[in-house]
Amino acid sequence: MDSVVELKQVTKKIRGKTIIDDLSFTVQEGEVFGFLGPNGAGKTTTIRMMVGLINITSGEITICGNSITKDFEKAIKQVGAIVENPELYKFLTGYQNLQQAARIIKGVTKERIDEAVALVGLSDRIHDKVKTYSLGMRQRLGIAQSLLHNPKVLILDEPTNGLDPAGIREIRDYLRKLAQEKKLAVIVSSHLLAEMEMMCDRIAIIQKGKLINVQSVRNEVETDKKTYLCDVNNRKQAIALLAKHHIQATEHTEGIQLLLETTQVPDVLKILLQNDLLVFEMKVIKKSLEDRFLEITQEEAIMHA
Amino acid sequence: MLKLIQNEWVKIWKQKSTLLMMVLVILMVFAAGGLMKYFDSKEPPAKSDWKQELQAENKNLKQNLEQMDMAAPSAIEYQKKQIAINEYRIKHDLAPDQERTVWTFLRDSTDFISFAGLFVIIVAAGIVAHEFSWGTIKILLIKPYKRWKVLLSKYLSVNLFFLLMLAVVFVTAGITGFVLFGSGEAANNVHLAYVDGKVVEQNLFFYLVKTYALNSLSVYMLVTMAFMISAVFRNSGLAIGLSVFLLLMGGTITNLLAAKFDWAKYSLFANTNLMQYFDGIPLVEGMTMTFSITMLLIYFAIFHLLAFGIFTKRDISV
Ligand SMILES: Nc1ncnc2c1ncn2[C@@H]1O[C@H](COP(=O)(O)OP(=O)(O)OP(=O)(O)O)[C@@H](O)[C@H]1O
Ligand SMILES: [Mg+2]
Repeated sequence: MDSVVELKQVTKKIRGKTIIDDLSFTVQEGEVFGFLGPNGAGKTTTIRMMVGLINITSGEITICGNSITKDFEKAIKQVGAIVENPELYKFLTGYQNLQQAARIIKGVTKERIDEAVALVGLSDRIHDKVKTYSLGMRQRLGIAQSLLHNPKVLILDEPTNGLDPAGIREIRDYLRKLAQEKKLAVIVSSHLLAEMEMMCDRIAIIQKGKLINVQSVRNEVETDKKTYLCDVNNRKQAIALLAKHHIQATEHTEGIQLLLETTQVPDVLKILLQNDLLVFEMKVIKKSLEDRFLEITQEEAIMHA
Repeated sequence: MLKLIQNEWVKIWKQKSTLLMMVLVILMVFAAGGLMKYFDSKEPPAKSDWKQELQAENKNLKQNLEQMDMAAPSAIEYQKKQIAINEYRIKHDLAPDQERTVWTFLRDSTDFISFAGLFVIIVAAGIVAHEFSWGTIKILLIKPYKRWKVLLSKYLSVNLFFLLMLAVVFVTAGITGFVLFGSGEAANNVHLAYVDGKVVEQNLFFYLVKTYALNSLSVYMLVTMAFMISAVFRNSGLAIGLSVFLLLMGGTITNLLAAKFDWAKYSLFANTNLMQYFDGIPLVEGMTMTFSITMLLIYFAIFHLLAFGIFTKRDISV
C-alpha cells in the first residue's frame, strides 16, 4: 500500500492564532480515512490546506509525492474534493456544471460524464437547473463533479450533511466501494461518530487543531482485557464474592461490569454458579468509538484545565 | 487557457441579466434614433440664414469670454474653439450639420459607449466577486490551473464582452442611422477640429473610428478598475458602485479639481479623455498625449498588480 496523502508537521496560523498545530498523518491508497473532531476543531481548515485553498504556515502536504504548494497543478490533478458545501452554479443545469469541470480537465469524455451521473443516481434530473435541486441532490452532483477526472484522492468535508438515511447509506457504500475497487484514498470529515465508525478504516481524532489519536476501526488492536457484562440475579452479593477472589466488578444498569482476560471468564462463572447465583447472560461490551472519542476529548480537557 | 475562457463565456451568457443588457443597449440606440427622427420631423430643418446665426452666436461667445477671466483655462479655451470653428464655417461656406445623416448619428452616439460600458462594468464587477459569494470559487481553484491563469481568463473574458458590446453599439447605431437618416452628401462628411489654435478639416469616418476608440479607452480603464476591486475586495457592489460613480461623475470632479489644483493632472480621469489632444484643449496646461498615455499605463499596471498580487496569494475561506 502506498501512502497517497502525507501531512508533515502542518501548522496554520491566522492572525497570530494557531488554528492547526503540528499535524502529521498519512493516508494510504484504498482506505477510507475519517477525520473526526468537534465543531471548530480544524477539520475544514486542514482540508482547505490539503487542496491549496489556503496557505500553509509551516510544514508540508504532498499528494502522490507532489507538494501542494510547490507543485500545485500536478498535485491537485489527483484530487477531487468538496469543501464544506457542494457549491455549484445554480443558474446552470447539473449537466452544464459537470461540463464546466470536464472542459478544463484533459481526458474527461462525454461517456465519463454520463457514467459519473449514473453512479450518483442523478440521471433523471441532470438536465434541470441546479437551483431546483434539494441539498441531497447537490451533494450527489458535487460528488459526481469531484470524481469526473478519476482522481487518486477524494476529499469530502461532511459528505452526509443533508442526506436522508437511505442517502447516507448509499454514499457510505459507494465510498467504500471506491476505496476497495478503484483503490482511491477517500478522506471524509465529520463530527458524527457512529457514522464514521461505519464508513472508515481508520479515524484521526482532532481537537483544537491538534491530532489526538489515529485509530483503526476494523482491525482493532486487541488488548488482552475486555469489558464484560454479566447479568446476574443478586448483583451486590456477586460483587462481594468476586472481590474476595480479587476480581473487581462494578454495578451496571443491566448487571455487573468486569474487566477480564479471556482465560478468567470460566473462573468468574464458576465462582458465581458455585455460590448458587443465577447467571442469565455473559457478554463482551464493545466500547463504541463514541465512548472512546468522548473519553479522549475529556481527558484532553482535564489535562488542559 | 482557451477552455477557461470558454467556461467564463458560458457562465456570462447563462445568466439572464446578460442578455437583458444586450437588449437594453440595442433598444436604447433604436429609441434615441427614433426620438431624433421624431423631433426633426416636427421642426423645420433647414435654416438658410445660418451664417447670420453663427455670427450672432460668436458675438455672444466673445462677450462671455470677456467676463470669464476667473474660469478654468479649459472652459475659456472651449469658447475660443467654438468661435474659431464658427468663423471657419462662415469663411469656407460650410454649413453646420443641417440634416442628420448616419455619420452625425454615429458621432452623437458615442454616449452609448458609456451606457454599454455601464453593463460591462457590472459584468467585470461580478466575474470574480460572484464566485466568492456563490462559493464556487472553491471548485474553480481546485482545478489544475494556477490562480493567475484563472484570473487572467476572467479578465480576457471581460475584454471579449467589452469588444462585443462596442461592436453591438457601433453596428446598431450604424444600421439605425442609415435606415432613419440615410448617408447624406459626401461633401458634408468632414469634421472640423481645433488644433494649436487653428481650425483644420478632418475625414469624418476616420474621426468617428478615433472617437469610438478613444471614448472606449476611458470606459476600458473603469472596467479594469471594477475588475480589480472585484478581485481584491470580493465585493461586486463596491466594484459597481465605485466604478459607475466615477463613470458618471469622474469627468466633472476632475474638471473641478483641475481648475484649482495642478496635481489633478495625475488623476485617472484627467487622462482618460484622450480626445482632448485631438479636439484642442488639454485639461491642465502642459499636459501632453505622451503624459496621459504614460499615466494610463501606470494606472493599468497598478490595477493589475493589485488584482493578481492579492488574488493569487490570498486564503480562500468562503
Ligand atoms: N478565516 C479565519 N479566520 C480566523 N479564524 C478562523 C478562520 N477560519 C477558521 N478559523 C477558526 O479555526 C478553527 C477551526 O475551524 P474549522 O472550520 O476548520 O473547524 P471544523 O473542524 O471544520 O468545524 P465544523 O465541524 O464546525 O465544520 C475555528 O476555531 C475557527 O474559528
Ligand atoms: Mg467544517
